[in-house]
Amino acid sequence: MSKPHVIVIGAGFTGVATAHDLALRGCDVTVVERGDLCNGTSGRTHGLLHSGGRYAVKDKESAIECIDENMILRKIVPQVIEPNGGLFMALDESDLAYAEQFIESCQECHIPIEELTPEQALTLEPNINPKVLIAFLIPDGTFDPLRLALAFAGTAKHHGATFRTFTEVEGLLTDGAGNVTGIKVLNRASGKSEEMRADVVVNATGAWAGHITAMAGLDAPVKPTPGIMVAYNQRFVQRALNRLNAPSDGDIVLPQRRMVVVGTTSFDAEDVDYIPTTEDQIKLMLERGSELIPGIRSAKPRGIFMAARPLFGVGSGRSIARTFKCYDHKETHNVDGFVTITGGKATTLRAMAEKTADVFWAKLNITAPCLTKETPLLSYRQYYTSPN
Amino acid sequence: MTEKWKITLHVYRQKENEAPHFDNFTLEVNPDEYVLDAVERAWAFHDRTICFRHACHHSTCGACGMRVNGVEKLTCITSIRDVTHNGATLQVEPLRNFPVVSDLAVDMGSLYRKMETVGGRAVLPVTEAEIEKPPSKWEADDSQYIRLSDCIECGLCISACPVAATTPEYLGPAPLAAAQDQGLKRKPELLSIVDSEDGVWRCHSAFECTAVCPSFVDPARRIMNLRTQVVDMRLRKLFGKA
Amino acid sequence: MDQTRHQPSAGKFWSWFIPVGRQAGGWAFALNRVTAIGLTFYLFLHLAVLSLLAQGPGSYDKFLALTENPFIKFGEWAVVAAVFLHGLNGIRIILTSFGVGVTRQKQLFYGFMIVAVFVILIFTARMY
Repeated sequence: MSKPHVIVIGAGFTGVATAHDLALRGCDVTVVERGDLCNGTSGRTHGLLHSGGRYAVKDKESAIECIDENMILRKIVPQVIEPNGGLFMALDESDLAYAEQFIESCQECHIPIEELTPEQALTLEPNINPKVLIAFLIPDGTFDPLRLALAFAGTAKHHGATFRTFTEVEGLLTDGAGNVTGIKVLNRASGKSEEMRADVVVNATGAWAGHITAMAGLDAPVKPTPGIMVAYNQRFVQRALNRLNAPSDGDIVLPQRRMVVVGTTSFDAEDVDYIPTTEDQIKLMLERGSELIPGIRSAKPRGIFMAARPLFGVGSGRSIARTFKCYDHKETHNVDGFVTITGGKATTLRAMAEKTADVFWAKLNITAPCLTKETPLLSYRQYYTSPN
Repeated sequence: MTEKWKITLHVYRQKENEAPHFDNFTLEVNPDEYVLDAVERAWAFHDRTICFRHACHHSTCGACGMRVNGVEKLTCITSIRDVTHNGATLQVEPLRNFPVVSDLAVDMGSLYRKMETVGGRAVLPVTEAEIEKPPSKWEADDSQYIRLSDCIECGLCISACPVAATTPEYLGPAPLAAAQDQGLKRKPELLSIVDSEDGVWRCHSAFECTAVCPSFVDPARRIMNLRTQVVDMRLRKLFGKA
Repeated sequence: MDQTRHQPSAGKFWSWFIPVGRQAGGWAFALNRVTAIGLTFYLFLHLAVLSLLAQGPGSYDKFLALTENPFIKFGEWAVVAAVFLHGLNGIRIILTSFGVGVTRQKQLFYGFMIVAVFVILIFTARMY
């Protein structure tokens, strides 16, 4: 029996992790991407390797998924991670009041935390706000966005996956009954169009999921939700910093190489091909960031940018988990051969891919087990050294 | 009220089987935005056929290197204000010394392969990453902290190197810097790789690499240091002390 | 990658001399190559002339006549200029190769070139 051919549209985290999972299960995978790897939301992620502490109080399922995947990623792809842990910092009464539920929730989600006095916190991280009232050590971290994707993509390539970059989907191929049988693409480097057939087409375009489903006359309830990030030119801390409170704007500061990155905000946007930054959001990041690290006030911004989260709206799709959604369009609109995945966080990319692959592996009547949990990823440079 | 400039973006275009040429786009931009933003605007609002590479937008991925008015720059951290003025032209071209895939996008494969040949470290202890102003005085156990290495494999150094222009087999500044970073004492197997015609001896001290590196690698200094390491190892071998 | 085209070709040395984007170190590199080519050319010329001289008194007179030629006079000046530019820059290269002054290579270049220009001016004054 010949291997099933799956086409994955989109080479962000969802696309590359899915390609990796499928390739390891022996599937024939082609990934098409209109730009290059990670040129959408995934490239611009804050880079926080979540421990789940941020979600423990309000969304335990999400938090547990984060801590599990955090530990897996540290094992399978340490080459792209700054694994130095994180601090949740309380700076005022409201933060202090949050501490009790934070401790309880983290324990419930088996997220290891350690309570620190202000002196202990300042000894570990001398540049944090000296007015810190209490802090918790937690296994957060920072990762390199592009190289995380390259590691998955390179390993997928090594197992036979093909990546076609600068290849834009112009339309979907359908059979007489309206089921999807492949894609029509434009090779943007040559200006030539071609057709590619597949057993299943996976729409992994994140915030742009609606563009692809529209080609089948369907809509995907994805709400692009951008937010701002500001990178400053000094590595003030070794650990990721979170404000000890319910998630809000500008309450995360991450170290990355010789910078710290402050994020983020949240607002709606229709078209996310280009989102300009705004003065007020930049100011907000400066203020909120310097509450955690006062030194940021005298640092210079190195890069300022917007990233569009793919939040899914309410729809008829079956939710695999509340953290992301996989819509099998045979179930949603009776269009077979076409699956949309959207939502998700970078930290849970591997789990997302596993659960999605389980869905249509069943569709294709194959029961190869998922190998991605234990398989260390190859060097991210494998993407370029692989003969594919 | 954010300042607005009108600039002409002069973009290098190259599609398969077509002669390369430049296209002009008149853009209204905020001068404190970055050159990459200008390119993205041109793509989003004027010409969807423009091909370019970008990912992180904050100098950690190395994808967005281009020549801006002829000089190698990482376009996500190069503000428009620094490279042009209101009413003027801004020229963007792909990096030199890499095959052009299309327009502003080049194939970085050769750089990544050479980095893999020398086994460049992607992550390393912060105490070895030579930050000038460390966040705290390094304590004995500060080596427990790991960070991503300075080199983001952006290729600006290869593009600027006059030797790389004529010698594709030359290892190049970034790979040689990555070898130096590991040290020949620690990785003696690197000796035969760097002590070669296309290794450390192919450099002819143009220093253009360090001049354009956006990420504090200082490859020129590292290549010179690597030479002393090579000579040291060879002398030791010669006098039987290896 | 089947989409790649336009491979770089060896021999694109003219890019060394295109001014756009070149900084001090790149200029030093280009200057050293130009002076090296010039001096090598001079070396061959010098040997050719010497062999002429070996052919007897008649050729010596021919040689003296040559030296009056303004182009040759300029050439002699150019050789001296090239020697100083190439030589002093060469010292800079030697220093940086041993790790001395690598972080100050720009200043070294400007400094040595100022010395070179100064010396060449003195030589020019004495020669003419």
